[in-house]
Amino acid sequence: MAMAYPPGGSAVPRIEVQRERRFAGHNARSIPLVYAGQEVLADQPVIRLELPDQPGSQSQPDAPVVIPAGLRGRVMKTTARGGVIIQTRAALLTGNIGAGQQVAGFLTVWQPVGSRPSPVPAGAILVIPGPASFAMLRQAIASGVVGIVAGSIEMRDLEGFLGVDMFDLFNSVDVDMAQASLPSLTLLFTEGFGSVSMLPSTLQLLTRYQGSIALLSGVTSTLYALYPELLISLPEAETRDNWQPSSFDTSLRLGARVRVRFGTNAGATGDIDYFFVHQHRFVSGVQGRAVRLRLADGTTLIAPIMNIERIP
Amino acid sequence: MQTEPYLGEGPGSTSSQNPAAASSILVADCGATFTKVSLLGLVEGQYRLIARGVSPTTTSGPNESVTRGIIQAINEIEYVTGRHFVADGQIVTPEGPSGDGVDLLVSTMSVGGPMRLAVLGGVTKELETLAAQAVSGLHAETCAIPAPAYRATMAPEMLAVGAGGRSASSPAQPGSWTPEQVSAEWERQIARMRELRPHAALIVGSVDNPLGATALQEACQLVMQTVKALSQQAEGGSYQLPVIYAGAPQFVEAVRRMLNGHAEVTRVDTLLSQAQLGPVSMAASALYERDVLRRVPGYDTLRSWSNSIPVGTASSLSSLVRFLAQHYAMNVTAVDVGSNTTTLMMAGERGEFIPLVNTGVGVGSGLSAILQQVGVQRIARWLPFTTSEDELRQFAMNHMLHPQSLPTSQRELHMFQAFAREAILLTRDAAKGENFGQFEADLILATGGVLAHTPKFGQAALMLLDALQPRGVTSLVLDRTMLISQLGAVATVAPVAAVQVNENDAVMHRLGTCVVPFGDLPPGQTAIRVGVEYSNGRQVTAEVMSGSIEIIPLKLNEQALLTLYPAPSVDVGLGPGERARAAEEIDGGLVGLIIDARGRPLAFPADETERQARLLQWMQIIGA
Repeated sequence: MAMAYPPGGSAVPRIEVQRERRFAGHNARSIPLVYAGQEVLADQPVIRLELPDQPGSQSQPDAPVVIPAGLRGRVMKTTARGGVIIQTRAALLTGNIGAGQQVAGFLTVWQPVGSRPSPVPAGAILVIPGPASFAMLRQAIASGVVGIVAGSIEMRDLEGFLGVDMFDLFNSVDVDMAQASLPSLTLLFTEGFGSVSMLPSTLQLLTRYQGSIALLSGVTSTLYALYPELLISLPEAETRDNWQPSSFDTSLRLGARVRVRFGTNAGATGDIDYFFVHQHRFVSGVQGRAVRLRLADGTTLIAPIMNIERIP
Repeated sequence: MQTEPYLGEGPGSTSSQNPAAASSILVADCGATFTKVSLLGLVEGQYRLIARGVSPTTTSGPNESVTRGIIQAINEIEYVTGRHFVADGQIVTPEGPSGDGVDLLVSTMSVGGPMRLAVLGGVTKELETLAAQAVSGLHAETCAIPAPAYRATMAPEMLAVGAGGRSASSPAQPGSWTPEQVSAEWERQIARMRELRPHAALIVGSVDNPLGATALQEACQLVMQTVKALSQQAEGGSYQLPVIYAGAPQFVEAVRRMLNGHAEVTRVDTLLSQAQLGPVSMAASALYERDVLRRVPGYDTLRSWSNSIPVGTASSLSSLVRFLAQHYAMNVTAVDVGSNTTTLMMAGERGEFIPLVNTGVGVGSGLSAILQQVGVQRIARWLPFTTSEDELRQFAMNHMLHPQSLPTSQRELHMFQAFAREAILLTRDAAKGENFGQFEADLILATGGVLAHTPKFGQAALMLLDALQPRGVTSLVLDRTMLISQLGAVATVAPVAAVQVNENDAVMHRLGTCVVPFGDLPPGQTAIRVGVEYSNGRQVTAEVMSGSIEIIPLKLNEQALLTLYPAPSVDVGLGPGERARAAEEIDGGLVGLIIDARGRPLAFPADETERQARLLQWMQIIGA
């Protein structure tokens, strides 16, 4: 299960984290292929799966199913359920919503060539800077793409593709079981539902690591406060001397860039240029602490502090 | 964060280690979305609410602790009062001569989610209802999973739900399941348990049936298989499933032996009737505290700060409601609409008490449950505008993902309040199933963010009337401090403080007295004539038409004598057509004297335009 973070589509360029790489299906036994203290590469198999025999199956045994690490780093320990905890220095992107189990793949930014999209290699994690659609997801899964990182999607499109009620999915008590029934395409939407593109700073980060192996988890749970995330282990050259984790100040202060995450102005971004000392009464009549935002076009917007989040 | 300063005269001059003599008390309530901290202190010899701080609840991140949100909320109080209560991340105690520090810290919690209790064994419909009643006052939910053999023998008509092979319409004979069907049922039940991930199991059932002890034996097997399956999935390789055994007494040792090494067993009286609800409830409450509350990140630190054990918010509220009912000798209904839980508690002057904690239903992360249980149409009926299924689903989803957000537009506020009405209605309907349908409240006490923070008092009054649909004569009181859910916990260590703060601050927003005629209201005619005689001698008579709602001016701190003349087929609590004259003066309120002659149950015009117009009319009259 992914670690829990506050939502917000935040991107952290440098962070040291530990993550459990595992297979979450109920019907297979996971056997770690590595040991504590071992250094692993992102494409190195770290888990072998033992799948149950299918009754009546006459086919020859398939080649062993192995799962690559997805992360470059050190194995800290193996877990009782057959997972492998890896410590890595990585870039971390957290999404607002997502779906699907952990997958590893090559990060590939979607770039239309003329009027047609460029071909996408099978096994890729595809980055779509703008909003995704039902048709895009269908096309991606048919192309053998294992994951998609996009700005947003309409709820109806996502429900149509996944074949589930999103309320049920996000409220599932057994997260693993809920994810197991989804199509084999793991999804992360940085901004959430709607038709919003991802932030330029997010796209810049993803573009920088195009071609790298990344580990994507789409698990989203309001019950357990889990949000989807993409981890890209940093190249060795970037983690050597004088490596320092990047600090991202989440506090709200004058000049901070923020985004409205709820209500009529959801999606608007701007810089805080005033904190109201007294509670502000909004059009609804509800009172709350508020800030004034200066938007890119020079206009201002008053928003409740509870409705905004800091962005890089 | 929000802060609501209250005018006080500073701290008392003395502090004491004796909780009952505390000069200052911090009361923390850790909810699913917000953590609220209130500072209570002595002002002119009376305990008063001095200041409040609110912060998002902090339990979701890595290395997170519920205490961080508490400290953030306390920081707001420090800012307002100029006093210091926190040093080096710890609570300063006791209160010093400078006013810094606090004598007591009391806490309640509803964060951590509900306790999921699987009811296993020979689960009849009656036992399933009794199990639900036993935990109805706790932040808990039950799921009945009768033993496979029990289902096959005693309730074979349920077979089609997953055991495969037979349609629901085909006749079934007791004990007619094939081995394959029994096997399929076992798999379905293990999958259900795995999906449910129960915090505890309650084994029930007698052995005076053709199966004997088989159902109990199978319940134990299901527990063992669940523990095995979930342990494989658990990060630490171990899954605990404590068992409350309320089955046939002669098999308790056999159950203990069978579950030895797999599950801890607590024995309580055999659950047969309402007489045994108490022991089951107490055992479940202990498990809730141990296996849900104590697992909340930061619990141990919070416990070390407190003079008392953190208690469930619902337990605290139930103490207060029962106290109020007995103290004022009246029927009291309390409603608390939270982010993920809606609580309705009804206490009668003769000791009757029905608590209903509707877990998962609320106006934050609980919006989705409302949408799924009642559907879009029932929510949309409360909206004075046209909406779409997509808009309501999108609204619910966005607010579920960001439950701390505030509604900034009128449209959003209407949607919030529509969901709140349905949350209360769902809970009221569940409570009616608890044989309390005829409970008529003398006092309705309301709290929770969506009610406490309504921009207009009329909105709160209308939500309560729409959702609770009281009948007869009732007083409506709004707790804007959101303290009533904590005062029960305060009373355990400082009873005087609890009583004084309740009277001085928590129940000071009286919305008004409400007269609700019911019965057969004659359409298009006068439902009731109301005579009001004010304390200054002025008299007013009002005629209220069926289907309408009227406000007669009666301000806060004003009193009046009331005489009610219902139409022949209309009742105000004394029988159809019976005139009623109040023996005592009734109190006014922030809304006034409300005459709600809209009928019970509340009905809406079928025409969409007319429905919207009617809603707007009701809102305009009541000042919503």
